[in-house]
Amino acid sequence: MSNVWAVIRREYLQRVRSKWFIFSTVGGPLFMIGLMVIPALTAGRAERAGRNIALVDRTEVLYERLIPRLEESGLTVTREAWSEDVVPSLTQKVTDEELGGFLLLDDETLSSGRATFYGSKTPSTLQRVTMRAAVSRTALEKILEDRGVDAESLMSGGELRVEMLSGEGAGFEDPQFLVAYLGSFFLYMMFLLYSVSVMRATLEEKTSRVVEVVISSMKPWHLMLGKILGVGAVGLTQMAVWFGSGAILAGAALPAMIAARPEVATLADMKELLPGAGLVGLFLIFFLFGYFIFAGLYAAVGAMCNTDEEAQQAQFPVMLLVIVPILLVMQTIQSPGTTLSVSLSLFPFFSPILMFARVSIGAAPAWQILLSFVLMGLTVVGVAWVAGRIYKVGILMAGKRPTLPELWRWVREA
Amino acid sequence: MSEDGYAVRLEGVTKRFGKHTAVSELDLEVPRGVIYGLLGPNGSGKTTSIRMIMGILHPDAGRVSLFGADADEARRKRVGYLPEERGVYRKMKCLDLVVFLAEIRGVPRAEGRRRALDWLERLGLPEWADKKVEDLSKGMQQKIQFIGTVIHEPDLLILDEPFSGLDPINQDVLEEIVLDFHSRGTTIVFSTHLMDQAERLCQRVCLISKGRKVLDADLRELKAAERKGLVAVEFEGPDRWLQGPEVESVEAVNGAVHLALREGADHQAILRRGVESGATIYRFDLVEPRLHEIFVRHVGAAASDEAGVPRSAPLGGGRR
Repeated sequence: MSNVWAVIRREYLQRVRSKWFIFSTVGGPLFMIGLMVIPALTAGRAERAGRNIALVDRTEVLYERLIPRLEESGLTVTREAWSEDVVPSLTQKVTDEELGGFLLLDDETLSSGRATFYGSKTPSTLQRVTMRAAVSRTALEKILEDRGVDAESLMSGGELRVEMLSGEGAGFEDPQFLVAYLGSFFLYMMFLLYSVSVMRATLEEKTSRVVEVVISSMKPWHLMLGKILGVGAVGLTQMAVWFGSGAILAGAALPAMIAARPEVATLADMKELLPGAGLVGLFLIFFLFGYFIFAGLYAAVGAMCNTDEEAQQAQFPVMLLVIVPILLVMQTIQSPGTTLSVSLSLFPFFSPILMFARVSIGAAPAWQILLSFVLMGLTVVGVAWVAGRIYKVGILMAGKRPTLPELWRWVREA
Repeated sequence: MSEDGYAVRLEGVTKRFGKHTAVSELDLEVPRGVIYGLLGPNGSGKTTSIRMIMGILHPDAGRVSLFGADADEARRKRVGYLPEERGVYRKMKCLDLVVFLAEIRGVPRAEGRRRALDWLERLGLPEWADKKVEDLSKGMQQKIQFIGTVIHEPDLLILDEPFSGLDPINQDVLEEIVLDFHSRGTTIVFSTHLMDQAERLCQRVCLISKGRKVLDADLRELKAAERKGLVAVEFEGPDRWLQGPEVESVEAVNGAVHLALREGADHQAILRRGVESGATIYRFDLVEPRLHEIFVRHVGAAASDEAGVPRSAPLGGGRR
């Protein structure tokens, strides 16, 4: 085992000391902070004028509740009655910068919570989220009331429970949607980034022939294990820095920023946008399961190839396993309860991304989460077994890439 | 787990790649403490044999033992292996690389570091310790890799073509280190097709061609045995005396005449005949054959055998 440790250590230090790692690890949060802080600081009077919006409510039933809600989040709202020429006249005002924009509610708002915002420039994500939340919440209350449900007591239980009841997933207006989508996407990027690193490192070891010396002193399986663990530790380090700085930002910098510019957003709104510690913990668990599955597969791909070009082609089937779930994320978030969504998210190669997406919108019951852990755990073992065998034969093999039947023979005979 | 007198032992080892047999029923015994040369033309199976000793390839048949027992991971850690195709982690710092290679063979990091610095000093690279390997010249990279090969003070050194790619000065440095290890009791196996080097260093040589062993002998005995067969003569006067029942062939080489004698022939008889014939003999010399010639003769013969050509066919062609 001391060999594995030596490999982990080498792999870890080598990467953590690299310029790329330092740049992306430190630069990532700085970039994010920059994205948040700079617009907030540079927002001047024009921004404040932009916070003047008009509301055109064709339903005639939503504005009473909606206006106070919008004003809570720092907007100044004037109500305009509907007429044929209200849109052109408001558009003119927006062009003249008298108005930041106007919100149009119609029957569709009542049925689906959808509303349209017309503005001269794209509103900030925060603005968009608060507007969406306010609109959908108001619409939902109205719909429930019409059906004789006591909206107030229902809503006090939290938005999450409302969604579970109605069997609907998160819509764009929910902060959970952002967390689920960005979280899944983040997982996807980390899987690709770090699994491909394992593949490249394996390939480099093979093409540079270092592997001959290393393998003559240790078992191939130990080398592969050390490499995967070492690279994985680098990923965890990077995320620790990111999450740590995120927590500091949320804990210290955010309240200060909001205190300085209260009209931008309320603290409560912002907190709602941020994932909790529990979700971060689940994120890490899903990362580890997914990483061990994909890194194992990528290690095997690296071991069976001889050149970068070969590896580019050979990695395609494995890459599909990472890409397909990210394509299904949107649909899963929107309807997380369907049989299709549940089964896809339990498929162990898709679980790391899809189950995480369902978990983060609160749509996955505990038994499904645990079942996915068990299935992913078994898959990790299975992948390690198969990949370890391919790796063992492939890493010392020169010549052309194996065909599928040959691969199968490697697995059987190794 | 008894450790017999052999550092390396191959018994009936065979390796096939598809239809091509790279090594065929090879028996090899490397006694402890010797410098052992594994000689053979390109493609003869030297590297394949070495890779099987190191567990990089698995023989299709036969047995590989190290230090008197089946070769396993623990025993291989006592071996320092320099592969034919050199390879290093190019992005690593020289010192880190060597310490890593020591660590995976069980040398504690602090000790590995101390030894690595000593070696860098000895090979004149101390200022490169913290430089990346890729910043070094090819020759320097080879030195680093050599340090990585010996850093765990192995009982057995297996060097595949260690001198290729080194300038004469560094070849001498390497030779000196090899001899130094030898004097401390380390067994050394190296493959080469450079006969001069082998002749200078080896006590025992094994000649393989086309995956088969052609010759396996103590170098001194081998030369003594081969010496009986060749006489160089320089003379003036009649030359009829050169012909006789003892002489197989006569050949002019660089102003001298080489007589190849038949087995068991008495060279004194030829000399007597020459003196009696009235020739003035300046030189009558039992030539010590160079390993090069032995190599060419045997490999050529092996190649001819294979091709179905009689042994007396012109020598020296090698194969291909």
